[in-house]
Parts: sequence; C-alpha cells; structure tokens
Amino acid sequence: MTSDPSAQDIERDLTGLWKPQGEIQASGLRRIYTTNLVAYASDHEDGYRVEGILGDVVQYHPGRYILVRPAADTTEAPLRYYVSGRCLSWSDPEKRVCCDMVKLVAQKEVIENLYGFVFSILVPDLPVEFWWPGDMPYYNSFFEHMAKQATRVWVDSAKFKDPIQSVGRLAAFWHNRYPRTTLADMNWIRIQRWQALLAELFDGDWAKYLKQIKQVTIEYGEGSTPLRSFYLAAWLAAQLGWRHHQPRLAAFTDRLVFQGPQGEIEVLLKPVPAPDDRADRIFAVGIMTEGESPALFTVVRDEDPHTVIARSEINHKLAFSRVVTFEHLHSDDVLAIGFKHYEADPVWKRTLQMMGTILIHPDMTLEQKKQD
Amino acid sequence: MPTPVLLENPLRQGLSSGRTAPPCSLVIYGASGDLTVRKLVPALFELYEKHLLPVSFNLIGISRSVISDEDFRKKLKDFLAKAKPQFSEAVWNSFSQNFHYIAGGYDDFKVYQALSARLDELDEKNGTMGNRIFYLSTPPNVFEVIISNLGAAGLAKEDKGFSRVVIEKPFGHDLESAKELNVKVREVFKEHQIYRIDHYLGKETVQNFLVMRFANSIFEPIWNRRHVDHIQITASEDLGVGTRAGYYESAGILRDMFQNHLFQVMCLIAMEPPVTFEANAIRDEKLKILQAIRPFDEHSVKHLAVRGQYGPGFLAGQKVPGYREEEGVNPKSNTPTYAAIKIFLDTWRWHGVPFLLRSAKRLPKRTTEAAIQFKEPPNLLFKNNLNTLTPNVLIIRIQPDEGITLKFDTKVPGMTMEGRTVNMDFRYGTSFAEGTSEAYERLLLDCMLGDATLFIRGDEAEAAWAALMPVIHHWETTEPETPFPNYEAGTWGPVEADNMLERPWRHWRKV
Ligand SMILES: NC(=O)c1ccc[n+]([C@@H]2O[C@H](COP(=O)([O-])OP(=O)(O)OC[C@H]3O[C@@H](n4cnc5c(N)ncnc54)[C@H](OP(=O)(O)O)[C@@H]3O)[C@@H](O)[C@H]2O)c1
Repeated sequence: MTSDPSAQDIERDLTGLWKPQGEIQASGLRRIYTTNLVAYASDHEDGYRVEGILGDVVQYHPGRYILVRPAADTTEAPLRYYVSGRCLSWSDPEKRVCCDMVKLVAQKEVIENLYGFVFSILVPDLPVEFWWPGDMPYYNSFFEHMAKQATRVWVDSAKFKDPIQSVGRLAAFWHNRYPRTTLADMNWIRIQRWQALLAELFDGDWAKYLKQIKQVTIEYGEGSTPLRSFYLAAWLAAQLGWRHHQPRLAAFTDRLVFQGPQGEIEVLLKPVPAPDDRADRIFAVGIMTEGESPALFTVVRDEDPHTVIARSEINHKLAFSRVVTFEHLHSDDVLAIGFKHYEADPVWKRTLQMMGTILIHPDMTLEQKKQD
Repeated sequence: MPTPVLLENPLRQGLSSGRTAPPCSLVIYGASGDLTVRKLVPALFELYEKHLLPVSFNLIGISRSVISDEDFRKKLKDFLAKAKPQFSEAVWNSFSQNFHYIAGGYDDFKVYQALSARLDELDEKNGTMGNRIFYLSTPPNVFEVIISNLGAAGLAKEDKGFSRVVIEKPFGHDLESAKELNVKVREVFKEHQIYRIDHYLGKETVQNFLVMRFANSIFEPIWNRRHVDHIQITASEDLGVGTRAGYYESAGILRDMFQNHLFQVMCLIAMEPPVTFEANAIRDEKLKILQAIRPFDEHSVKHLAVRGQYGPGFLAGQKVPGYREEEGVNPKSNTPTYAAIKIFLDTWRWHGVPFLLRSAKRLPKRTTEAAIQFKEPPNLLFKNNLNTLTPNVLIIRIQPDEGITLKFDTKVPGMTMEGRTVNMDFRYGTSFAEGTSEAYERLLLDCMLGDATLFIRGDEAEAAWAALMPVIHHWETTEPETPFPNYEAGTWGPVEADNMLERPWRHWRKV
C-alpha cells in the first residue's frame, strides 16, 4: 500500500506476486488471462459484496480483475491500491492457474477521473468488461469514459433503485451514446432460462399457436417490482411482432395491452406471495390462445425449488407435461454465463427497444413527449 | 433430400439453446447393451437438461432380451442415478416418459412392422412429425439384417419426415466387408441418410483442429513440408483388453484405432482448407488425404510399421498380466496390442513429411494427442546450447486435459547466453467456463439436426481400409519380427519402434 501510486507501481507489485518461491516454483504455476473486468462498487459494503462475486467469477474466467470503490472517509489518501493473486485448482499441481486482482480505493472526486489510470493497468488485447452495479447515471465522468472504452458494460436492472428511470434511460440513449459498446443486463441472463422454457413449448407443430395468443399471465413475487416480468412481456412482444400503442408508463401496472396481427393481447402481471429473498423472481407464466382449438401453455415453478414444470393443454386435454431442472443463478453464475459470449444479442436489443415504448424516462424533452 | 424440419419458432431466436433438435423418434437397436446405458442415454439426458432435446421426442429400444418398458427405464435410470451427482427423480421421470422397449429378434420382420405402427402412433400422439433415427448399437454382424428389414418395412422412406441411420463402429472388418456393407446400406438408405459414427470426431479438441487451423492466420503459412519436420499422433491407453477380448482378438489395434480414430485425426491435421464449412466440403478434403497415403507394399511395410504385444508388467505399482494371460485370449495369440506406423502423404504440401501414428494398450498412461514437430532453425547460433534448445513443437491434446501447448526456446535470465525450452499452455478446462461435452452428446444432436460434418462418409471408410489393408494383411500372414510379447506392460512399447524414426533428432514423445 502506498500513496500517489503509479501504474508502474502496480505492475511491479503484480510481478512480485508471481516471482517463483519455494514449492510453487517447482510445481509450475500458470498465469492465465482471458479477460479484463473492471467493477465499480458504490461503497465499502457494496465493495465486499462485489469482491466476493468477483472471487467466484474468476474461477470460470481467469483474468485481471480491477475493483474501484470510493474511500469510506474523506481523510483517507486520495488513492490507495491493493494487489492480490487468485489461484485455482490447488488440489491439482499440474493445473494451478493464477490471475490477479487490483483494488483501487479512492476519494470520490479522484474516481471521477480515474478512468485513465484504470486503462493503464489493463492487460492489453483482451476484452474489457465493465460492471456497474447501480442505477444508470444521467452523467458520470467515470462511467462515461469506461462505457466508451469497454468492450461491454454490465448492469443489473434487478438492483436498480429506480428501475423505470434507469431502464427507460438505457432504452432511450444507450445505442446513440455508446454505439461501439455492447450493453448487457444481468437480469436478461436470468430471464433467458424462462425464455428457453417458453420457447420450447412452441417447437414444431405447436409454433402455430404463437399466432393465436390472446392472454399472457406472469406471476411474480409480491412486494417486488415486476421489472423481470415486464422484460419477459417485452421479449414476447418483440419476437412476435406485437406493438405497444398505449401511453408510456411512469409506474409499473398490473396489465399491459399489445396490438398483434391477431388483435389485442393482454399481459397480466400478478403478484403472488413469496418469501422475501425470492420475491424478485418470476413464479409462473401462462399463455392462453384463442382459435379452433384453444390451448394453454404454462411454465410453473415446482415445489422442489430446483425444478419447473412445463405443460400444455390443447382443447382442454393434456398435450404434454415435463419437468426440468432449474437451478437458481447467483450473480457470479450470471456473470460467468454472460462472459462466455461476446456477440451482441439482437434479441436483447429489440427487447430493450420494446421496453422503451412501454416505459417513460425522465430525460425525455417536452418535444419528444409531444411527438409520442 | 427433404429439407430438415425447420422450427418456425421466433421465440427460439437468439437463445443459447438455438441448436435444439427438431421433434423426432430415436430407435436404438441393441438397446440392452452397454453403449446405450453408459453413453447414449446419458448423452440424451444431458441434451435434455440443456434444453437441446425437443419437447416431442420418443425413444424406442429394441433388442432380443425380454424386458418390460419399466425394467428398461429402470436399468437406464440406475446407471444415471449413480453416475450423476445431482440426479433428480422427477426430472428423470419426465425425460423418460416417452421411452419404450420392444423385445424381438433382429431378423423378425414382424418386429419391424410393429415398430412402424408404433412410430406412426407416437407421431400422432407426441407430434414427432414422422422424423426417425435408427441407431445400430449392436455388434456389426447384425447391421445388414436390420438395415434390409428397415427397408422392407418402408422405414427408410422420407415421405413424412426424415429417416436416418446411425451405424456404430466398426464399419466393416476389412476393405471387402466395408464395401459390402456400403452396398447393403445404400440399397436401403441414400448417402445423406447414413451417419457412420467415429466418436473421436465428437470430441471438442478434434473439432478444434479445424478452428485452430482455419480461423487463425499464423499456423497455415508454416503448416507444410518447408517448416514441419514430422507429425506424431499418439493414442495410448494404460488399460489392457479388459472384457473385450472376444472382439479384440479378431480386431487388433489397427482395426480398433487406426482405420478410424487415428486416420481421422491425421486427416484433420493434413487436409487442405475446405471451400465451405459444410459436411461434404470437409469430407471431400479428408478423402483426398486418405487417398494420398503412399501405398504400403510387402517390402515397405517391414520398415514402416512396427507391431507389438504387451507382456506382464507393472502399472501404478500393481502387477498386471500380459495380453496372452488375459481372460478370453488365446495363450498363443499374435494379435497386436501396439502399432506404430510411418505414413507418407503424396501431396504437394506434405511431400517427405512423415506422419508417425502410434497406439497401444498398457502403455504408462492414457493420452491422445497430435504433435506437430517443426524443423530446426536453419542456422543454429547458440551452439553451446545444443542440448537445452529443441525445435518448436505444437501439441494438441485430445484427452485427457484437452488443450494446446507450444514449446519454444527462450533465454534463461542471467549474464550468460543460455537458452531453455519452455511451454506455452492453453487448457480448455481453465480458459473456458464450460466443460467440454461428451462426444456422443454432440454427435446425437448433430444427427438429429441433419449435420453430417462429424460423421464418416462411405468413400472415406473405404479409402481408410484400402490404405491399411496391406499392413493388416502382412501382419496376419507372417510371424512377428520379434516374438510376442515384445514389450512390458507399463513401458512405452517395443524398442523396434525407435528404429523407424531414422533421424537422430526424432524421438517418440513421452506423452
Ligand atoms: N461400448 C462402447 O463404449 C462402444 C464404443 C464404441 C463403439 N461401440 C460399438 O457400439 C456397438 C454397441 O456396443 P455395446 O458395447 O453396447 O455392445 P454389446 O453390449 O456387446 O451389444 C449390444 C447389444 O447387442 C446385442 N447383441 C450382442 N451380441 C449379439 C450377437 N452376436 N448377435 C446379435 N445381437 C447381439 C445384445 O442385445 P440382445 O442380446 O438383447 O439382443 C446387446 O445388448 C458395437 O458395435 C460396438 O462396437 C461401443
């Protein structure tokens, strides 16, 4: 730990970490970097949480991890750093894989301009993932510069304190402001499993029912905001060519109405009792169709928390029912899954655009509002 | 060829499970056997858990053993429940709800008629749309009878959906029988319906040969006779013949490993870039390599191929018996359990570069790898270091511990100009979060999707046999040059194999 550190100091300390010592030298350890990850934590407590998550993600994606957080106290030094090594598979000396973490603790005003320092300690030629755990700022210098330079920015809309404002902002300006940076939302990864479960109900012959959907019901935990349910509805709408013609919403509602080729489609968002720690989850989705042979497709969480039941009824007769595993994803799982793919996801982009037609956002000018 | 049933399902778009198979029925012949229990059904279960198996899916097992649907499912379940740490009974029940079993002889036409009716019924009930795959997981002596009966029962027709046949290895016992089998299969199925399995091609690292060679621009310019000294492909096993003595006695190491796995790996290393990444474009290029193998004759085979058989020895400190003492093996058997072959490819790119292929049982360790050994630099400046500097080697490890290693020389820090060879290592297990899938998972899924890239085409199978037959013939009609057993279990094989390397700087790798 020093004051007024330079990038060279950090590099020197990192190199020092890996100087062969005793037994480690004999067994030959490997440093592997597959990515750079820069994470921002809003305070000391958040710092602990984020650091814990990074420690888990590193197991799947060894790389250089940089955690930036504000100093707890204004009397502390403007910038301090800590370096540490992370090694995996200690049990198998043949496979010891190591990488490193740099923690930067700085005064708030220093963080504003810390981006250049962060760039200088990245491992060259590797992707840069930037994880911003909080709400979307309208303007923040650190965020702004990082978002422009990173390969991809990760947000977690499940943790937004003001989801309508933040998601509205993402939908409204991301692609104009940061055209070269991929935006990823951890919440989207969580929802993808529901998407897969719903999608497989409509393979083969059953695809025809997609054009006859009349009503969708999404159950979510009471007391939480139904953001994830809104995403799911927006995804269905974006993929099935439905439009949202109603006025934009400034608060979550329990009913959305879309216009599709088949007419009006109603999406009902229903809160159901749920333990606090699971409230933000989706509990069930039902899709009802109209037509010659009415059908009902459902995916429901089972009593066993590790499974869900997917079933369909055509003409009030059971067509099929199946049970599939559904493990809860923690934040580290979500990031580990997300880091696997680098390609931009056009479906996510479309869904976010659809969210933009549903939610209002606070930076809209009066002009824009009038045009809508 | 009818277009495979495409899923007009917009909700599938963009999902990581985008390669989900279309609705279909899988019929496994020889379903009471080991392969079904240990490999095929576990692979299907993995696909189910990854949402890659369609909701509409039926499995029908057929073999002679008389067992009920219930017992069939129980046998499959018992294996998985033990093998999978987080096995869920409810998920299993759901996965296996459309599993059925038919007991019957492979030559009994009534069984095929019953099967046909059952498949129609299941199509109707479960929406499998007339798509069928017939998987022959029996010993090869019944392949032909099953195929001709499938034809007679009209099950090879593709009028409603697709009909495909998967044929397990070995594909023929020699060139003649492979040709005959090809004729018989093609009387019933068209080539696009035939999927000849070589499970090596389902392995992630084997597929990585293609990506490594053709997605990187740094390897291709040096991938030729000007830069490569020789190539070694090794598939070593520490196990002995185990319970497979019956099969092994008539097959031997050449049929078991070379005709299929090792030749396929060689093809992927040696082939020219295909014009597209489609099945036939890739298979055309592989075929050219097999056809370019310089033919062995009575004379050349003696110094280009070395055979061996293990005697008693020690593995992991335990005494193990010799091949001739194994259960079910003729005590005077001359079946080879070790083979090393030097192959020359008569192509522009590889002229004069030996491909050294080696496979054996009861070597010190189980490893499969390909090593591209590059030439020495033209002017060796560091003459004092001749013992510590070695030519570059690119090693592609197929199993275990899949990955790539590049050996290169570097300076040892200090005042003297001292060099040393170091490894640059890439390991799948540590660089990618996702573990590599079992080969059968990939191959079953590809077959359901109608992608034959990782399967062997009929002409490839014949060309591989044609190249190998002179060696097989020579070994089967002459006594071993040094009497068997000629290597101790737990060692790297007979010393004669070293002589075939010819150049002082070439050594068999201790893998
Ligand atoms: N096991 C593996 O790991 C593996 C790996 C690569 C390739 N293969 C190939 O895959 C196929 C199946 O392997 P497997 O290990 O499951 O074989 P298996 O257990 O020996 O045979 C499969 C089933 O075929 C039937 N069968 C056995 N001998 C027969 C005979 N002489 N005539 C007619 N039917 C006979 C038996 O069923 P019924 O008696 O009930 O009819 C048996 O349950 C073989 O061609 C093998 O070479 C296997």
